[in-house]
Amino acid sequence: MSMIEAKGLVKRHGTVEVLKGLNFSVDRGEVAAVIGPSGGGKSTFLRCMNGLERFQGGTIAVDGVTLHVEMRASDRSHCLRQICRRVGMVFQSFNLFPHQNVLRNVIEAPVHVLGLSEAEAIERARRLLDRVGLLDKLNAMPQALSGGQQQRVAIARALAMEPQAILFDEPTSALDPRMTGEVLAVMTDLAHDGLTMIVVTHAMKFARQVANTVHVIDGGLVVESGPPEQIFEDPREEATRLLLAEVVAA
Amino acid sequence: MEADAGSSPLDETGNSLHSGDSPAKAPAFASRPPHLRLFVGVALLTLSACDHSSDVDALARVKTVGALVYGSDKEGGGPYIFPDPEAPRDVTGFEVEMMRSVAKTLGVRAEFSQGQWDRLLQNLDSRHVDLVVNGYEWTETRARDYLFTRPYYVYRLQLMVPKIGPLASWNSLKSPRNDGRKWRVGVLVASSADVFAAEQGGEYVEVVRFDGATDAMTAASHGQIDATLQDLPAATFYRARFPALRLAGEPVGRGFYVMFFRKGDETLRDAVDAGIGTMIASGDLQRLYERYGIWNDAQTELASLSIGSLNVSGAAGPTGLKLLDRYLPLMLEAALVTFGLSVTAMPLAMMIGLAVALGRLYGPLPLKWLLTAYVELLRGTPLMLQLYVLFYLLNLSAWQAGILGLAVNYSAYEAEIYRAGLQAIPTGQMEAALALGMSRGLALRRVIVPQAVRIVIPPVTNDFIAMFKDTSVCSVITLIELTKQYSILANSTGGVLEFALAASVLYLAMSLPLSWFSRWSERRLAGLGSKGGVLA
Repeated sequence: MSMIEAKGLVKRHGTVEVLKGLNFSVDRGEVAAVIGPSGGGKSTFLRCMNGLERFQGGTIAVDGVTLHVEMRASDRSHCLRQICRRVGMVFQSFNLFPHQNVLRNVIEAPVHVLGLSEAEAIERARRLLDRVGLLDKLNAMPQALSGGQQQRVAIARALAMEPQAILFDEPTSALDPRMTGEVLAVMTDLAHDGLTMIVVTHAMKFARQVANTVHVIDGGLVVESGPPEQIFEDPREEATRLLLAEVVAA
Repeated sequence: MEADAGSSPLDETGNSLHSGDSPAKAPAFASRPPHLRLFVGVALLTLSACDHSSDVDALARVKTVGALVYGSDKEGGGPYIFPDPEAPRDVTGFEVEMMRSVAKTLGVRAEFSQGQWDRLLQNLDSRHVDLVVNGYEWTETRARDYLFTRPYYVYRLQLMVPKIGPLASWNSLKSPRNDGRKWRVGVLVASSADVFAAEQGGEYVEVVRFDGATDAMTAASHGQIDATLQDLPAATFYRARFPALRLAGEPVGRGFYVMFFRKGDETLRDAVDAGIGTMIASGDLQRLYERYGIWNDAQTELASLSIGSLNVSGAAGPTGLKLLDRYLPLMLEAALVTFGLSVTAMPLAMMIGLAVALGRLYGPLPLKWLLTAYVELLRGTPLMLQLYVLFYLLNLSAWQAGILGLAVNYSAYEAEIYRAGLQAIPTGQMEAALALGMSRGLALRRVIVPQAVRIVIPPVTNDFIAMFKDTSVCSVITLIELTKQYSILANSTGGVLEFALAASVLYLAMSLPLSWFSRWSERRLAGLGSKGGVLA
């Protein structure tokens, strides 16, 4: 059964149609990699899932909560709150809260959104920071950390809400190769644990080795979906072939 | 209306106003802090003190220039001097006409220079005017520091009270009010009425000091004070404009209006004194006073009075540290008013400002429009006018009006600072907070505002310090704060320099700790992330 499903998704910036009736679905426990050329609508699509972008047509269903265009504003924000509690997000530029230390960043939402006691939240945060290998950075301020460390804190912060799924928006694009490795290792670990993940990425190796399904988005549509072996070794669409050729050339 | 905060001695007198041929300066309601004047005053005074000896003969100088420049205040100044209803750029009044005649006896023209009434003698000190003539009564303190002419008017003081009210005359003030509170009697600050009410009012009178004679009348007709004590000519002149007031009982007190000159300008003083004598002898002065309805039997005494009838008796008053020692409690009390106003108004301004900024950035469209209008209205109109509205139209008490006025006025500025601070936070911060399931409100409270606060500490501190000094505008609504107290004491004792220094020290004592606190908190918060949220 689909954990997240988008049907006929249309998104316009003024007269420019960024998403043109896009269809997409991911099952519970599935890792979906989304690849495609820049400007093809990958990030926009991802940001529609948790309400950071509004869309003008189609529906999005996340874990039984359905968003559609005609919703009243109050219903929409109620649904989005529901969705955001169940679906975390990790950003390209980390977006840690710079006025709070690592521990505070991680316990902020559990305490103030889920209503956990501070002790429970700290307990949870310690466990998660241990998991991403940063237990020794509890009291560090974000800007004292490397990019890779910041992104791992951001992942721990998303995990602290115990989400059903996490959306990754180019999580390694701002990182150098060594730091990229640190972050992908953590993500691989999560994937093996059965977390539902949608990963917009340029990291083809990760897509190939970790994802269950790879989706190619170009021109505001999913042009091809399939298991990684098929997409990378036997692409059926011209757009996919062009994309892979560019990656190889790079 | 008053223009207290509007002008400094430099532009009041640096561009002195010609009653005939130059456009009078529009009443300036600009928010330039009056304390500036204080420092400029000190500077000019120090400068001018140095070149007394090198002065050429004052009469010769005036004749060379061809103009006799007299300092006066045309605000609420009827019948002495006020904007000519026929030609509002010019001034008229019995003193204007008198000066015209006197100047004619010297063969020069008379030239009017506008100044705040209670600071006219400072303009004389700083050599921007040749003399002061504006219902200035002869007092021993003034007589010690300045040259003076023979009396040109014998004034008395008249109590004005609301028509419906318990006060019948000055003597009614000697018995307590029904409710046990004191009678609030309004006076022009540092005037003879001020001195008389303070000295003769007795235990049941509280003196409320106004910057302008008509302000006190306005307050009396609004019932904010019980009565106002005015020089008789002003009471007679303005009674028609304040139909809610009546003249209560016979006039009280008695004194002489004289003109004041700088020491050393004897030749000029003597020439002007002779001019006044001529007017008295010829009956011109009586005819002039009769036209203004201010002639009375007391004026017959003028002919027999001379400079000599006003001899100074007794020793000179204290100066320097002795002077400060005597009046320091008054200065400290006034500093407390300044401090109290600021530390209550500024936190209010910061809270209102934050709410306004958040509303402007995140509120629904109609609210945004409303708040934009709020900011533009409050920032675009002078604090002094806002205080007038709160005090005279909404009838708030002086403290209520002062605190509310300052808070609301500053909230507009704080709102803009906060708006800038909030907008400086990268959008990724709000997105990250929303993606964690926070509501917009929670995200603002926990994520955005705390970061914005760090950014706005320096500009808000700046405004806080500015407010300490802007409280001086509250003197227009009878709050005697530090700058006003300085002015009153400098006037009544002649200790301009001493009190200017004391006031400056007290202002610094308030603002410096705030600067230190600000720098400390900046440093502390800088340690917690000076990169302002840009993390990439």
